[in-house]
Amino acid sequence: MKIVVCIKQVLTGDQVRIDPRTHGLVRSAEDSRINPFDLFALDLAARLKREHSGSITVLTMGPKISEEVLWEALAMGADRAILLSDLRFAASDTLATSYVLGMGIRKIGSFDLVLCGMRTTDSDTGQVGPQLAEELDVPHVTGVEKMERKKDCFSVERVSDGFREVLEVSAPALFTIASRTAVRLPSLIEIQDAFSRSPIECWNLEDLGADPGRVGSAGSCTRVEELIPITQQKKCVFIEGEPRQQAKVLFSKLNEKNLLA
Amino acid sequence: MDFTLTNRQKEIRRMARQFAKAELAPIAKEIDEEGRFPWEAVEKMGRLNFFGMQAPRPYGGAEIDSISYCLVIEEISRVCAAMGLTLAVHNGVAVYPLSQFGNDEQKAKFLPPLATGEKIGAFCLTEPNAGSDAMAIESRAIRDGDSYVVNGNKIFVTNGGVADTLILFASVNPDDVKKGFSAILVERGTPGFEVGLLENNCGVRANPVSSIILTDCRVPQANLLGREGDGFKIAMAGLDTGRVGIAAQAVGIGQGALDAALKYAKERVQFRVPIARHQAIQMMLADMGTMVEAARLLTLQAAHIRDQKGELSGPSAMAKLFAARSASKVASMAVQIHGGYGYSKDYPVERYFRDARATEIYEGTNEIQQIVIARELLKRGED
Repeated sequence: MKIVVCIKQVLTGDQVRIDPRTHGLVRSAEDSRINPFDLFALDLAARLKREHSGSITVLTMGPKISEEVLWEALAMGADRAILLSDLRFAASDTLATSYVLGMGIRKIGSFDLVLCGMRTTDSDTGQVGPQLAEELDVPHVTGVEKMERKKDCFSVERVSDGFREVLEVSAPALFTIASRTAVRLPSLIEIQDAFSRSPIECWNLEDLGADPGRVGSAGSCTRVEELIPITQQKKCVFIEGEPRQQAKVLFSKLNEKNLLA
Repeated sequence: MDFTLTNRQKEIRRMARQFAKAELAPIAKEIDEEGRFPWEAVEKMGRLNFFGMQAPRPYGGAEIDSISYCLVIEEISRVCAAMGLTLAVHNGVAVYPLSQFGNDEQKAKFLPPLATGEKIGAFCLTEPNAGSDAMAIESRAIRDGDSYVVNGNKIFVTNGGVADTLILFASVNPDDVKKGFSAILVERGTPGFEVGLLENNCGVRANPVSSIILTDCRVPQANLLGREGDGFKIAMAGLDTGRVGIAAQAVGIGQGALDAALKYAKERVQFRVPIARHQAIQMMLADMGTMVEAARLLTLQAAHIRDQKGELSGPSAMAKLFAARSASKVASMAVQIHGGYGYSKDYPVERYFRDARATEIYEGTNEIQQIVIARELLKRGED
């Protein structure tokens, strides 16, 4: 089974820095890590590879420092890692990003399955997966928690509005993964083997044969006007009185804020 | 000179850090209080190859470089010093001497189960009357046909309570210990092999440190490591390597104590501001950070020298001496920053304080490190 996993480098630090010119987040290797939802996708891909054999190619779009997350993906069991990097990709919105990822997947060749994290912990749109499926013209299911390979199709389970949906999807397909199971850590031997495989490949706009008008700000139909960090004000209120009285006051305060519905 | 970790080293550190947070942080306090060896975590560490970090690949080891090795020991010890000790001793003074001095048959027989953690290794040198003075050992291994008959009493054996494969030092010559000093592989379960009582130690309590008593214990001659009389060389090579691991353990304890102090200093409010805003606290934090970083640099330098196959005795002794002293000082300052809470078992720093103290004693006391360092300094020619 040929699996492609799309991953993203996200910020971890609590001190978010914003570039005043582009309104984008300033990233550095120290305060970045692999998007936690993408780890679930990678973990699932590694399990499918163990059970059905096949190959995992991992793909990310970003500057050179995004290589870090590709190394982590290789350690988790990916066979091949590709960085899509070009200055012209900067400021891509989710649509332009999906186009670039789609061009990358076309260049990789045939595939049975594309996996993405359900959303990212930084921009949190959840749009790239579905847009990429449209770009590749394959069926998709979002928020998948369980997945099994059947003969010519995939059986997937997703939770939505209190229901557990089970769907059968023909291959090739794209799923965004929402599983919350603990991710299996790679062993030292697996990390050693990952680093003895071929180095990370880097493809630019020309390598992809991509249309410059569909990438970066030119290819984006949304633009970030402003990015304002939210500082949450915490206020500590002491409730005085006898326990029974304190409970009454607490109840009415919580009720006022509609927290007891 | 490049101080940047490679991507491979960073990945190894990330994995060890995630493991320690997920699996050891929730149990570190409890296993310390109960003095319990956590088999459930040990099994998981085995799956991650932590018990064969530098063993050769053909025998199931991961063959990671010494810097990566130190990073793993540091990350584990940062959360649980007792498991850091288990790994440092198993890998440094059991698996390493066996990999280095064992013959093919010995490696094929003993290394694979040690590398997976299915069996635990230990190093038995210290005796009631022989510690820093290793040549004073009274254990004897007298040749009888194709066996050695071993008699002796080994004490303070780290991992002793759970070890299956032990490198034991005894003299094969009843009259001349210097000539007869030898290293012999002894297996738990051999008739005449007995695990004594576990030590009720002040720190690193989840490690089952015990005595090992050998009474007419018959060990095959094939279990002799190296040749008769090679024991001292093997012990010293093991200790030079082992000290790098213990230095990394001490760096981890220091870092763990610093982490706790930084967190507490930002949370604890006195005089209407977090105590981190008080200069007295800042000065302690600055000294703690500097000591931990300097200890880490000496440790990783010793690891680098080991991989370059350079002269290791001096650098490993310096790293171990400095890292152990730093860990003790940093943990003590972390207690101070916590005030009364630092002296309570409700906070982790009293555990770091107890754990750190041991690093100044085992695998050669501070004073033994000083002897080694001074000897190396005096041996050097003038430039």
